[in-house]
Amino acid sequence: MPASTAPEPGEVSDSDLVKRCQAGDTRAFDVLVSRYRGKVYAMTYHMIQNETEAWDLSQEAFIKAWRAMPNFKLDSAFYTWLYRITHNVTYDWLRKKKMHGDGEFDDSRTEHRVAAGAEAVPRNEPAPDIALKNAELGKRINDAIAKLSPEHKQVILLREVEGLAYEEIAQTIPCSLGTVMSRLFYARKKLQEMLKDAYENAL
Amino acid sequence: MKTPSEDHDLIRWLDGEMTDAERARFSTRLAADPDLKAEVEMMQRMSSDLRAHLPAEMTVPYGDFFNSQIQVRLAQEEPLIPEARASWLDWLRLPTLITATAAVAIAGFMIMQKGPAAGDSVVLSIYVPNASVHARTFHSDEAQATVLMLDGVEAIPADRKIVGYYIERTETDQEVATTTLYGKSGEVVLVVSKDVRNQPRLLSATPRG
Repeated sequence: MPASTAPEPGEVSDSDLVKRCQAGDTRAFDVLVSRYRGKVYAMTYHMIQNETEAWDLSQEAFIKAWRAMPNFKLDSAFYTWLYRITHNVTYDWLRKKKMHGDGEFDDSRTEHRVAAGAEAVPRNEPAPDIALKNAELGKRINDAIAKLSPEHKQVILLREVEGLAYEEIAQTIPCSLGTVMSRLFYARKKLQEMLKDAYENAL
Repeated sequence: MKTPSEDHDLIRWLDGEMTDAERARFSTRLAADPDLKAEVEMMQRMSSDLRAHLPAEMTVPYGDFFNSQIQVRLAQEEPLIPEARASWLDWLRLPTLITATAAVAIAGFMIMQKGPAAGDSVVLSIYVPNASVHARTFHSDEAQATVLMLDGVEAIPADRKIVGYYIERTETDQEVATTTLYGKSGEVVLVVSKDVRNQPRLLSATPRG
């Protein structure tokens, strides 16, 4: 189950907002957008590593969610449902890019990935030397992720970033449990190869 | 060389997808195989670094614009719930149209009894669909005008056209239970009837130029 941003005490619950959306209330949808845009954007950004396109795809995911709202039976958490839509939108985009031979291994995509206003949610700041090493390792990780195939990128992000269980990954993609395990294993092996020297040099 | 199932064991152990019994068996293997242990440790470290460097939530650039763009697109979308055929009464329920509604309703029930000499109008009844709105009329003989006053109406947008109709005469057809209202030149302005709740229902209206 993807970690959801639970509403604060006193906030309207997701299910109540969904019901209002299903009655055509766009203001209720605006609340849901504000609540989940950061997670949706992070997911698309990690998959495609381009700020502008991640922004556009996140928009597309929310619009698709709005259109599909009448069919949402509230049989899962709203974010789980939104998450699947976002994943499908992003994965379709990646596959189209791949078909057109455009950009999957384009290193330039990772060069300017952190632009003004796009910083990650703040964490505790480490000491400068540690921060530098972290930044270097972070760049290496992002570069390595960018070089994975869409299928491998997909499973590694679903598992490591979203924390989905294998069964949930299988439902989201969708594919068999065996495929999930195989892809995860080979994705990790590829990352391991690409990051080997970084770890050997004790970054 | 490891078999595919051994590969799966490795990642299932890493991801906590093993049963207790499987986990115990794998831990025994791990203790006896330094190469496997080294690989597991490397993958554990990598997983930890991936989670640390790939945040699950990020600040969306220009977040307010992000939301407003979605609202703009939603406004261009078809309504989520297709309205079978919006009846006139549904249309009447729009708060900002209450004024126009009341005006039309009055038009439907107001007979401008323009006698050859007097030219006065008499309001026979007023229907306001929103109970929180109170409607009154005031007739000025001197100005030869009837003023409609509404209390409890929301602010009306400045660009909203409020229209009024001049009704010269009406004809009621008992067979089809409709009333036709004619304008000054004898043109048909409105055709109204009543629904099952005895409330006015607009059947047709001539667009005003």
